[in-house]
Amino acid sequence: MSSSLALKEEGNRHFQKGDYIAAEALYTKAILSDPSNPLLYTNRAMARLKLPDPPYFSIVEDCEECLRLSSSSSSSSGGNKNMKALYYLSQSHLALKNYDQAVSYALLAHEKCVETGDKSLPAITAQVLKCKKERWEHREKLRKREEQEVEEEMVELLTQEMERMMKDETDQEGKEETKKMYEEKIETLRNVFERARKKEEQRRREPPDWAVDDISFQVMVDPVMTKTGKSYERASIEEHLRRSETDPLTRTPLTIKDLVPNIDLKHACEEFLNENGWAVDW
Amino acid sequence: MPVQFAAKRLGKELSKIQNGLPPGIELVSADDLEEWLLDIRVLDNNPLYLNETYRLKFRFSQSYPIEPPEVVFVKQADRPIPVHPHIYSNGIICLDLLGQQGWSPVQSVESVCMSLQSMLTGNTKNERPAGDEDFVRANKLRPKDIEFYYHDNSV
Repeated sequence: MSSSLALKEEGNRHFQKGDYIAAEALYTKAILSDPSNPLLYTNRAMARLKLPDPPYFSIVEDCEECLRLSSSSSSSSGGNKNMKALYYLSQSHLALKNYDQAVSYALLAHEKCVETGDKSLPAITAQVLKCKKERWEHREKLRKREEQEVEEEMVELLTQEMERMMKDETDQEGKEETKKMYEEKIETLRNVFERARKKEEQRRREPPDWAVDDISFQVMVDPVMTKTGKSYERASIEEHLRRSETDPLTRTPLTIKDLVPNIDLKHACEEFLNENGWAVDW
Repeated sequence: MPVQFAAKRLGKELSKIQNGLPPGIELVSADDLEEWLLDIRVLDNNPLYLNETYRLKFRFSQSYPIEPPEVVFVKQADRPIPVHPHIYSNGIICLDLLGQQGWSPVQSVESVCMSLQSMLTGNTKNERPAGDEDFVRANKLRPKDIEFYYHDNSV
């Protein structure tokens, strides 16, 4: 037991120095010596994430082991290491392109972070936004490819029909006329698709003010309201209140305890981001 | 995990600024996310500032906008330091909005420029702060480290 802790300390020292390979090896030794300490697994996951080519599957395993061990133990200090495990899980799943899992774990990490008052809230809020953006981009890519395919298929069908109809025409003039008619149809079809694409591009300029936090200028993930009814991103306003306990607009006294969640706005922002992942980077 | 609002927030402020600024305010340069230069002019006919343009230098820390930016007037051949009871002749500005206490993270580069514009517009006194010469000679502090005494908010 004590040798496991000594190995962990040694691992931490190497991690601080930036020697992640040595740190990972030491955490592995520590785990072999005491496989029941959940903290060792998140430490190893943290070191593995820093490796040049992170072994994401092993990181996922480490984090899951940490969560499993800390849920079975009665330790009350589970909050912080669980939050880290959830955060690393989100990062790993994002790298593995498991977008839904990446988003869910980021949201769970966020919840844990708020619960424990951990200072990592800005970083975790950024992770939620990053996951949502990448999931949206992925879905958009699929959707665009699908639409492109439908467009090509329709053009192909019209072309085939044109050829069939042209065969039925006996004289040259009739053939020409049929050809012209179908070519116009194809052009109309292409224009409709093109217009739809352009309209989409134009829509993506600026997110609406109600969705944007006035401190970070980001779309809100967890809006909380001050006594005046104005909402801010929780990570931003808490950061401000730690420095100065005043309402940013009215300068009247305000503390973190005074903040209340704005659930309807939270849902509205979620809905907006699901449709408009571009807004993370506007 | 350090807090780094600054990069994203300044990037977004910059793209808004590039889409247009209020009259009398112009972006001179914003080559990085540490130091920006802007020019301001007073729009009414206040004889103290007529036909003059003033250059402002903004410096941002990593924790902007939680921490205020450092804002000073800078002197150049065609850019004097405006005369005002709260502006020292070395360009240092005494404005509660820019101090540790008066700053609010909902302020922005644009809103600071507008506040300075209106601070000049409303001024009628052709004078520097009391003790200007001594202050300018003796001061080695950065503006953010100076504790101004905001005794006169009517100016």
